[in-house]
Formats: sequence, structure tokens, C-alpha cells
Amino acid sequence: MSADTRTLVLTVPDWPAVAAAIEHDLSPGTPVAVLHAGKVIAANAPARTAGIAVGNNKRAAGFRCPEAQILVWDEDVDNRHFSAGVGALEDLVARFTLLAPGTLAVPLDALRHGYADEAAAVEALISALVATTGWEFFPGIADTVFAARIAAGRATRVPPGETVAFLSAQPITALEVTGENWTELIDVFVHLGLRSLGALAALDATDVMSRFGPAGRRAHDLASGRPDRPLRDHLRTEDLQVESVLDVPTTRSDTLGFLARQLAADLLTRVRAGGLVCTQITIDLRAAGDRSSRRTWRIEDMTENAIADRLRWQAEGWLAGLGRPRTGGRNLGRGRSIGAVPTDDGDDPGPDPEDFSEEGITALGLIAAELTTPVGATKSLFDENTGQITHTLERLQGLFGPDAVLVPRLQGGWDPAETNLWTPWQQTAAPARDPQAPWPGSLGTPRPTTVDRVAVDVLAAGGLPVEARPAGLGAAPQTIRFPTGTTEAIVDFSGSWPIESGWWDPSRSTYRTRLQVVTESGQALLLSRESGQWYLTGRYR
Amino acid sequence: MSAAPLVEQLSREMGISTATSLFDGHPPRPVHPVLAPIFRRGGLPRGEIVSLTGGQSLSCALATVAAATREQKWCAGIGLGEPAVSSIADLGVDLDHFVNLVTPPQDWLRVASILIESFDILLVDPAYQPSAGERARLLAKVRERKMSFISLTPLQGSTEQIEITDVHWSGTDHGHGRLRSCLVEARSQTGVHRFLLPGPDGTPAPASAGQDAVPGAGPSAEPAVGPGPEQRPVIRSVS
Repeated sequence: MSADTRTLVLTVPDWPAVAAAIEHDLSPGTPVAVLHAGKVIAANAPARTAGIAVGNNKRAAGFRCPEAQILVWDEDVDNRHFSAGVGALEDLVARFTLLAPGTLAVPLDALRHGYADEAAAVEALISALVATTGWEFFPGIADTVFAARIAAGRATRVPPGETVAFLSAQPITALEVTGENWTELIDVFVHLGLRSLGALAALDATDVMSRFGPAGRRAHDLASGRPDRPLRDHLRTEDLQVESVLDVPTTRSDTLGFLARQLAADLLTRVRAGGLVCTQITIDLRAAGDRSSRRTWRIEDMTENAIADRLRWQAEGWLAGLGRPRTGGRNLGRGRSIGAVPTDDGDDPGPDPEDFSEEGITALGLIAAELTTPVGATKSLFDENTGQITHTLERLQGLFGPDAVLVPRLQGGWDPAETNLWTPWQQTAAPARDPQAPWPGSLGTPRPTTVDRVAVDVLAAGGLPVEARPAGLGAAPQTIRFPTGTTEAIVDFSGSWPIESGWWDPSRSTYRTRLQVVTESGQALLLSRESGQWYLTGRYR
Repeated sequence: MSAAPLVEQLSREMGISTATSLFDGHPPRPVHPVLAPIFRRGGLPRGEIVSLTGGQSLSCALATVAAATREQKWCAGIGLGEPAVSSIADLGVDLDHFVNLVTPPQDWLRVASILIESFDILLVDPAYQPSAGERARLLAKVRERKMSFISLTPLQGSTEQIEITDVHWSGTDHGHGRLRSCLVEARSQTGVHRFLLPGPDGTPAPASAGQDAVPGAGPSAEPAVGPGPEQRPVIRSVS
């Protein structure tokens, strides 16, 4: 039944460049190149005419076209502008799917009733989209979504039944359009002499599966023109979120729990009606004065009670945090800290907890953040005792608060404190900095075992503070003095090296000098001097 | 002839304290080959408390649990402060099977007793010494669950004591170079061992003769001294 999966794919060429131009309010004639990890990943037509190619570095791009705007890639911008732009399509077609920022798919059977033939349908959709957005769209039609995506890259229509022939002529690198991380797999295919999709499709499916696992199986299916897993339709945003506004603001956890249970039951009914399972939920709490707290939780067996528990924990932690005057101290898991911090009452020592508790929470919202089919949510035979572990850790979260149980992740950064990303158990990690990007000047191995941030004094002979200059230290450090008053002699120290980060943005720019010292007790410490003060930033334990 | 010396020897060298444990057959958890000689049975024992103290003890403990976490065993840290994720990953720990607990220090025993139920390895820096009764109960639970418990401060009732007696960092030279590796001297029931932790690539490495180019570092290139494995009495089967 190839007619069922026949798909129209519309894609905006060089979408990251188009999105970045919209974000920065540039005219369409301005050459724009988008940079990620030091390489150009997209350039618009004027920039390409000037000679900028994908893969150039920043210097090469600036050399070829000095007037080009070179902007840093932002995934958020890509997604935001695209979903806003294609809102016009909601009125035109019943079902469509956003495949990636810049690319969307429309099943052709949704169009067959409204339009005479494929050409008329494509023309109507494109002219409507261009009229509202002003972007250029490339259409592609084929019997499978994968083939249609390749066809859209060169704006072609593959006649019905010819998709297999069309695919077999494509180079193996065409698998990259799926957006999956298949670089390694494609490399292996090329080394094995499989240069085209046809060569891959000619292999036996069972052999490919046993050698390359599920990824190879999927690549083989795509290459041989078999329909992929069904696409999930674009959900109207209001569908899977529920909200309740409280008449009287409250801080009572029993009241909140009761409301949350009703709200959660409502949401879960809607999710089940769509034949789906919700595995992550976003809880949105609002208090008077535009303060809000938003967290995403992963829950193994999503029930009303589990959601109500998470909401209660989040509310208690948030209210306690708001009541406390904000201290300068850092807390673990700060990456997920509360969004809004009370900033009013400049001369006040901090908002009075009593005062706040009279206001309380004014609105609750639940959003189904991740949906899968029931098959995707079942436990696998290979996850060893996860259920028991989950149970234990949730019990600890119930006793000591959600932030007491943290799982490690890495994010980008220069110092160990910046690369740390401790996320509460069952919450989605949100790295603030890209770990894949290059971080010139980041600390190499061996790295400190624990992270610290204590202001210390580093003294040279005669008790004079040690200055740091780009060329090196002002004097040889001899003693380190901790804020507790204890001092330790420094027996050896490394060369100092300066790191300048965020120089392109004055609000984030820091200049620091890093130094490793070994004290007389044999302990090694990592020190960093920022704006005239030495800090102990890590210990080797 | 009394059997007492043999029983004593069995309990000391093989961790066999009761007759039934002979049949239990719980092999120790695998550890990095450089660290294996420190342990009496060549790996991280199960059902016992190991105390690991001195400089670089946290690195040593993380390196010890690394191989087990890569075999899908879960490890939790209590009272460790804020460990640096980059160094945890460098030492080879699987980040998907490591959890750090940030709980009040006075609650460590309660947290540990909850975690013992399902975790395979606990890495604890106890904030206080438990009372005799609490200790006995903790030991019983550890033994019953056959889990591994590593304490970073001396804890009474531990059956393996590893003490890092000397650390020597190399790579820095009074304003030149950077830290590269650390030569560690550890004393355990199996003798005195020297190895690099962390080595040049962040993982444990054997101490080589060429590595020890620091003047005045002592005779650390020599083989391990003290009651080494070759001097120990050997149990022979009797017919």
C-alpha cells in the first residue's frame, strides 16, 4: 500500500541562516552565515554567491565576504521561528508533522480530497506558506517520507512506484537527512564499499540486522523504500496541557495535592484518548507577582498520585526557596534552580516568608512533555533492577527533597565547576553549554576530584599577595591562607595560564588565571584568580 | 592439633569467617588491574566494609568502583561534597550508574540504610562514627545484601583497611609545567603498593621506573616492600 505513505515534504533551504536572519532582524539581501563549533553550518543565498561554503571556518568566511553577518547557531531560535511560521498550515491541512526545524511533512492522502492533483495541492500550499512567511520552500514528493526528504533537497517529484529506483541511485551519504547521528555508520558502509543506497538495499535484511543492530536495520529499511515508523501528527498545542487557576492563593500542600490529582486525572485521560503514554511531565507553578517555577519530571509509572507528589515537592521546595533571602552560596543542581528570583524591595533584607505565605500559589499547569506509544514505554529485559533503584531513590527524594538525589552529566565549560551538570533524579538534564563544542583552554587530565569555591590568599615571601599577569606570576607563591585562618606552605606550583572566556559578550566576559599548587601535606589544589582575588576551585582528593 | 590457626588464616586471607560462606561463592567485584593487588582477594569484596583513607582516597575509591559500574552495577556516593563529573568520567565510572546524595551530614546512616536495599556499592564519607549497635546492624545488612561498602574515614568493623600513606605529585617545576600524575603509596593487608593515581591519562597506571625522575623522591622505583604476597604462608590441602 504505497499510496498510504506517499508524502509531501516541504523544506526551507538553509533554514538556520534564515532563522538567524529573522532573529537578528536582518534584511533578506544581507549575507548571513551560521557558525557552530567553529564551522559554517548554513549560509543563505547572498552569502553563498559571495563564496561562503558549508564547512568554512570563521576566518575563511570573513575573508570571502567581509560584509557577511556571521552568527552563532542557536537551536532554540531554529525551532521557535519555524513552529511560529508554519502555524498558517494548521488552517490548510488536517494533519502534518514537523520533522526538523525547517522541514515538515504532509501526508498526501490528507490533501487528496481538497485538490485535483498533486501539483495543484503543492502549489496551493506553497503559495499560502510563502504569503504568510515570505520564506522559500522546496517541495519533494515520494512514496516514503525518507525519499521525499531527499527529493525535497532538489525540489523533485518522484512518480508513484518509482521510489525504489530513485533511492537506489542516491549516494549512501543521503542517510544523513534523517538527522540521526549516523556519521559512524555511514563511514563503515563506505569502507565496506557500499557507496549507494541501492548497494545497501541489495544486502539481506537479516545479515544487516545481525551485523549493525537496530540502526543498521532501520537504514536498510529506509534504503529499500520500506515505510518508516508512522509519523506523529503535529499536535495542536492546547491539546495536552491543563491548567487550573486558584480562587484563593494557597501554600497548603494538601489543597495543592487535591487539585493536582484532579488536574492530572484530566490530563492522563486526554493522553490515553490519543492512544499514547506520557513519560515526562512539565509542572508549571505560578505565584503572585509574575513569579513562576517550571520543572520537567520523568515518571516511570505515570499516575495521578505520582504527579501530585512531584507537584507537592516542587511547590514546597520553591516556596521555601522564595521565603529564604537569597544567599551568595552556590547550591548543587543550580542548573535547574527556580526561574524567577524575587528582586523587588531593594533595601529590604529579603522578602518576608510570612508575607509570601499569605500570597501562595495562584495557578497550576501540567503539560505532557514527552509522549510515546505504549510499546516504547514498557521496560526492557535488559534494564537491570531499575525498578528497585527508582523506588529507593524516589523514597529518598520524598524524605529529603528532590534536590537531594543527583545524577551526573557533563556539559561544556572551561573549569570543572562549569562542566558539572548535576540533575535531580528523574528530571531532564538541560545543559547550558554544548559539551560537543570545542572549549579551548579547558582543563586537561588529571582533573580535580571535587569542586569548591573558596576565596583564598596566595602569599609570596614576606607575606605579600601574589599578582597574576598574562606573562606569569608576579612572585613565587610560598603560602596559601584559607578563610578559616589556617595556612599551608606551598612546596611546588605549576606554570600559570590565563583563560579569557566570553570576551564577545561584556556581561559574560571573565578573565582568569589558573594555577595548580602542591602543599606541604602533599595535597594538590587548583586555584583561579578572577578580578584580583584568588579562589580555590578544585581539590585533588 | 588445633584448627584455630587454620581458621584464623582462612578468615584473614580469604575473608571466610563462617563455614557456610565457603559455599556462598561470592567472588569479589572486578577492579582495575593496577588496583587489584591491594585487595586481599584481588577485587572489591562483597558483604564487607572497606576503609580507604589518606590523600587521593576519593580518586582511589572512584577508580575501584569504575569497573563494577561499567557492568551495570549501581553506585551511590554519600557525603562527598560536589564531585567533579569530569574526573569521575576520567576514572572510568559509568555516569549512568552513579548517583550523588546531598543529604544532611547527620543523616548519613539513615540514607545509607535506605540505599543498602537496592544499591550494589556505597561510597561513604561518614560524618560521625556510628554507635556499636548501629555498627553491628549496618554490618549485618551489608553482609546480608552482599553489597560493597567503602568508607573514606576509618570505620570500626571494616575488614579491609587501605591507607594511602604517601602521595607525590609530579609534572610541576616551580612555575613551569602542570600536574601530570601522582605517585601513590598505599598500605593494605597485602603489603605496600605503589602506583600512579591519576596517571597521565586520568586513570590508574603502574608506577614505572622511568616515571620516578623526581630527585629526592626516595627509593620508590623498588618493588613493594613489607609482607608481600610471596612471603605469606600458603594454605596447602591435606589428604
